[in-house]
Amino acid sequence: MAEFSKQLERLEAIVRRLESEDLDLDEALKLFEEGVERLRVAREQLSQAELKVKKVLEIESPS
Amino acid sequence: MGARLDLFSAASAEGAWTVGEVTKRARAVIEAGLPPLWVRGEIAGFKAWRSGHWYFSLRDKSAQLRCVMFAKQNFMLPPPSDGMQVFVFARPSMYEEKGEFQLTVMELLSTDQGGLWKLAFEKAKAALIKDGLLDPARKRRLPPFPRRIAVVTSPDGAALRDIQAVIGRRWPLAELIVVPAQVQGAKAEASVCSALNRISRLSVDVVVVARGGGSVEDLWAFNSERVARAVAAMPMPVISAIGHETDVTLCDLVADLRAATPSAAAEAATPDRLEVLAQCGIVGQRLARALRIASRHVVERLDRTGDRLVRSMETRLEKSGALLTAHSARLDALSPLRVLARGYAVARDEQGRILKQVAQLPVGLEFRLRVTDGEVQARVEAK
Repeated sequence: MAEFSKQLERLEAIVRRLESEDLDLDEALKLFEEGVERLRVAREQLSQAELKVKKVLEIESPS
Repeated sequence: MGARLDLFSAASAEGAWTVGEVTKRARAVIEAGLPPLWVRGEIAGFKAWRSGHWYFSLRDKSAQLRCVMFAKQNFMLPPPSDGMQVFVFARPSMYEEKGEFQLTVMELLSTDQGGLWKLAFEKAKAALIKDGLLDPARKRRLPPFPRRIAVVTSPDGAALRDIQAVIGRRWPLAELIVVPAQVQGAKAEASVCSALNRISRLSVDVVVVARGGGSVEDLWAFNSERVARAVAAMPMPVISAIGHETDVTLCDLVADLRAATPSAAAEAATPDRLEVLAQCGIVGQRLARALRIASRHVVERLDRTGDRLVRSMETRLEKSGALLTAHSARLDALSPLRVLARGYAVARDEQGRILKQVAQLPVGLEFRLRVTDGEVQARVEAK
């Protein structure tokens, strides 16, 4: 699973670039497609995740 | 008593008591005559041995008593300090090996400066402050989207159940790493430190140290300077939720965030996925809007280009139009029809050849004559 915060950061960067710059339609479309795909993955992660619980057995400290 | 202990009558050379017999007898007499009792006095010469046993004197203005408090009695207590006024519940006895009268202390209480606990707490806190460990600037921000969350708590307590439920509901994208620890009793301090130490070597984004409510003795481990220092040394942010809201432990003070309950700690550690989903919706809208704007720019540019194209075409067309008019005027002037209109006529033979000379027109020749509004048949009658 891609790190969620990285996913969101990239999305934010995409939106900002799309919003601020005078892009070629080609590039704008490419960014848009990437954004939509990342959004889809993020939504999927959010709605389908199930908490994984792992127990780490304590090891007595030598002291 | 004096009558039964007639020591002089036993003072013959062969009848002398051994030292051991005296101390043993004295011990028996003391233990029979002085039942366990409460004694008040001031602590002096306090010393804690590595074995965990404490040795000190209790004194007042006129006298002093040697005291021992064994590890199994004192392990839950913060050590007192010299000069402190205390109450002890102790059994008077004889320490035979040294021939010393001493109190074996079973309970030790102090009302001085809020009592032993308060004093120990303040002492440890002062040490932590001195090392800058309680500086608010040390508090780290919690990660907004934690991937791995470690929990140090009792493996079968309500705290773990609460934390697991909250994280499972709010942020199931995370992995919960449970590091069980004893959270009360003699081994709690070492157990919590070892759990923290273990986590510090793992790749974990945030740590929750949790324990449900309890008495001041129950929470003792979380007021230990050692645990506080272990928390401060963690490479990642630590959220502490120890006891009830009213109990602030050293662990709470050192942690990056203090939560009132284990559930609150779990909430502080995680974002709410529903909120994040809503954020995703907003990002999606922004994306769509940004694309619309970006494409509108492009379309506008296209439109501008198109306009220019059309304008330049029009200009050119206008120019060619003018030229055409001029040309057609000239063409018009040259048109044979115009000539005919002026009264000329064209003579052509059957094959359509134009007859321009007299030689082409012998007498009797039938030919066609074109005038401005049509043709007629003609014949050469004479030269």
